[in-house]
Amino acid sequence: MPKFTKPTWFAFGWLGLMLFFVLFGWLLPFKPWSFVYENDLEVGLFSSGHILGTDSNGYDMLASVVAGTRISIFIAIASVGLGGLIGSILGIFSAYLRGKIDTVMVTIFNVGLSVPNLVLALALVSVLATNVDINQAVPTWRRVMVLVMSLTIVLIPILGRIARGATLSWAGREFVTAARSMGMKDSKIILKHIVPNVLPALIAVAFLAVGVVIIAEASLSILGVGIPDGASWGGMIARGRNDLEYAPHVLYVPLVFLALTVISTNHLGDVVRSKLDSREAKV
Amino acid sequence: MSSLLSVKDMSINFDTPRGSLEAVRGVDIEIPAGMSVGIVGESGSGKTVMCRAAMGLLQGSNVKRSGTVVFDGHELTAMTKEQVRDLFGSGMAMIFQDPMTALNPVRRIGSQLSEGLRLRLGMSKADALARSKELLELVRIPNAAAVMKSFPYQLSGGMRQRVMIAIAIACNPKLLFADEPTTALDVTVQAQILQLLRELREDLKMSMVLVTHDLGVVAGNTDYVAVMYAGEIVEYAPTTKLFADMRMPYTKALLESIPKIDHKSGTRLDVIEGRLPNPTDRGAGCSFAPRCKFAKEKCHEEHPELKRDPDGHLYRCWFPIGEAL
Amino acid sequence: MAGSGTAHLRNTVDAVLTARDLTVEFRISKDKIVKAVSGLSFDVIKGETLAIVGESGCGKTTLARAVLQLPPPNSGEVVFDGTDLTQLPKENLRSARTSMQMIFQDPISSLDPRMTVHQLIDEPLEIWDRGTRAERDERINTLLNNVGLEPELVLNRRSYEFSGGQCQRISIARALALDPRMLICDEPVSALDVSIQAQILNLLQDMKDRFGLTMIFISHDLAVVKAVSNRVMVMYLGKICEVAAPEVLYAKPAHHYTKALLNSVPIADPTRQRATELLQGEPPSPMNPPSGCRFRTRCAAASALCADQEPQLREVTPGQFVACHHPVA
Repeated sequence: MPKFTKPTWFAFGWLGLMLFFVLFGWLLPFKPWSFVYENDLEVGLFSSGHILGTDSNGYDMLASVVAGTRISIFIAIASVGLGGLIGSILGIFSAYLRGKIDTVMVTIFNVGLSVPNLVLALALVSVLATNVDINQAVPTWRRVMVLVMSLTIVLIPILGRIARGATLSWAGREFVTAARSMGMKDSKIILKHIVPNVLPALIAVAFLAVGVVIIAEASLSILGVGIPDGASWGGMIARGRNDLEYAPHVLYVPLVFLALTVISTNHLGDVVRSKLDSREAKV
Repeated sequence: MSSLLSVKDMSINFDTPRGSLEAVRGVDIEIPAGMSVGIVGESGSGKTVMCRAAMGLLQGSNVKRSGTVVFDGHELTAMTKEQVRDLFGSGMAMIFQDPMTALNPVRRIGSQLSEGLRLRLGMSKADALARSKELLELVRIPNAAAVMKSFPYQLSGGMRQRVMIAIAIACNPKLLFADEPTTALDVTVQAQILQLLRELREDLKMSMVLVTHDLGVVAGNTDYVAVMYAGEIVEYAPTTKLFADMRMPYTKALLESIPKIDHKSGTRLDVIEGRLPNPTDRGAGCSFAPRCKFAKEKCHEEHPELKRDPDGHLYRCWFPIGEAL
Repeated sequence: MAGSGTAHLRNTVDAVLTARDLTVEFRISKDKIVKAVSGLSFDVIKGETLAIVGESGCGKTTLARAVLQLPPPNSGEVVFDGTDLTQLPKENLRSARTSMQMIFQDPISSLDPRMTVHQLIDEPLEIWDRGTRAERDERINTLLNNVGLEPELVLNRRSYEFSGGQCQRISIARALALDPRMLICDEPVSALDVSIQAQILNLLQDMKDRFGLTMIFISHDLAVVKAVSNRVMVMYLGKICEVAAPEVLYAKPAHHYTKALLNSVPIADPTRQRATELLQGEPPSPMNPPSGCRFRTRCAAASALCADQEPQLREVTPGQFVACHHPVA
């Protein structure tokens, strides 16, 4: 069992809880999120029946925040996973093969990086997640998919460049030349020697990226192009803003969830990074 | 003869997860003024740790030190970090094995070189730059003006080592520590750098400590040699004397394992089998006994003290070479 | 010198490897081309060790890699066992490479830090599907014993737990796994302490005798090469200066560059007179090598002829070939 510091244990615990909400939130004996408690409008924390209170529409805050967790975390994991997968495949291949492919890929990455993230996501969402008939609401799942897609597109060049850089340094090592001189096929060299060595660096960055994506999703929701109706953390924050004066908990509850999650992922990213560095130092 | 640097009973321990690591054990050494002393040993013999500690460069909470270091009348071990730092440059200076990591990769040579001069000697910018160029010429860098404007990566390994030497001698130090200064270089460049160090030492009346794993490097470049093994000095003598009359079997074995150009081709080299003993657990007897061709029972059981011949030759061996048994 | 020519090729049927007129160039930018190896030829006879000696940047490593087609040379041919590797289709080249294995300078970087010693040595056997699991394990143990490592103690450890000398032993075991005919050692001992150097040099010599290997041994240090080689080729800026048997070359170097290299070797004897005429400066850039003899800019004996005409390799004494207009008398 590796030794961890207290903050690391906390980060594990918190992210474990968030994952539990995502996977099994629907099992919890909560009041349903969609149900309006008209008798309990905007009650504070620790009210009877509503541990985290309710908001101005009478939704139970605990139920809301758990539902929000599902959407926010799903978006973060899905976009980082997809972006990481596509980005690292592109990055690793272009760095390993070098030549023209690499030049083209680097150019594409650079163009991708030069477009401001939020503007790109904003554009994509407003084009893809609107209905021709403005009277009909866009279903939440479609909004989620479009958000995942746009954030993935933003992440591909970021993670791709990191994969490319790491691959360049590992592919230059002599054990790669040794493997080639033993007659190993390129595809196998990439799988056996490059990927396992590049992966730790990517995982460290992926943790940081999850935090960045959660914030990005919240920003988009606050701007009104993310997930509407308080269905995600960002949506809840957007909604809670209005009630800041007389019911601050409506804003603070999702904010605390968001902050703790981002701090936890960033911390774990650092832990992975330093583990990696200490191993690198020995190499 | 007065000694410029004298180290008395120095021991260095590192606390590691696997126990206390004895890097240096009870080392006494004197560097006479104006002389050059070679410290020879394998990787892990404690030679580098000993030099860093002598310069007060060893820091960290896991380091335990004992013993005294006196440099030019100052007892370094009793001084604060700031006071020791003030001795760098004009008192002591150091050059390293890998000049690339010792130079800042994003700054031009001229600015790195002149910075020290302005800081230490309070020169004006123009004076410092002019002096920097002189220093580069002093270390025989052709085209010094162009090198001033270069970045470290644009120079070859040999040129970078020359730049490091220029930085080290900028404030006329009395003592230069050279830690494996030529190990990363080609033999041709190694010969040039060693020649340069010999000449500079003469011109600047500088003492030098030359740390190396190669007895061949020590032979023509030092006045005294200390051989280190497993954190201890195992033999110490004037260089000519050491090579003429080796007492310690380890020194002899080290010399014999060097490939030589007058060696007959196709013959096997004599090797020292095995490796250095585990630094966290050094056993009771002579540290070299497990690898020594002449080891007897006594060698495995009792730790030999440093013995002194009447002529000052020191060695740590129960059965030294050339002594009737 | 530093000239061209093929006078030193022995054209015998015993030649395991013959390289003719190899040229390797790297384009760094539109108008900058590094001429790493220029029209260089050499051969290695069965059971022989050819030492290739020269300073950093003389192209010796590039030359070795060009033999393995990593990357292939820009022009010239590499005939190994009767087949020209430069003409071989990719798939055949892959299997041809197994009979030539390489040992690298940096013992630590040549082993994947994520893999255990068992995995490292098993790798070549696995690629070529040599035998069953049990047979392969048996083979791995034999190989480790051959290089002086105890299988039980090392099998499950990773490269960073070992010293440089031990890593080099592991590399040698791995290189021998596929029963190569030829071993290309690129500065195998330069990163090691003197005491460990001797151990590795002896081990290489033992392996060569035991398995009848043919060897190319690259080094910048003539002293290291003396003990192991049968023929020494001195290179400068991508060309050959001198080729000869070590007894001749060390006793009577014909090329001024060979002589300078010999003078730079440190002598572990303080009473011996040190050579005063050291080679000064460093090799010029391979992007823009001097005309004629490439060594002329650092050569004390250089004349106008050396700038105009590139010297060709010629035999000065039996078996000693030199590319110099004014060889050392």
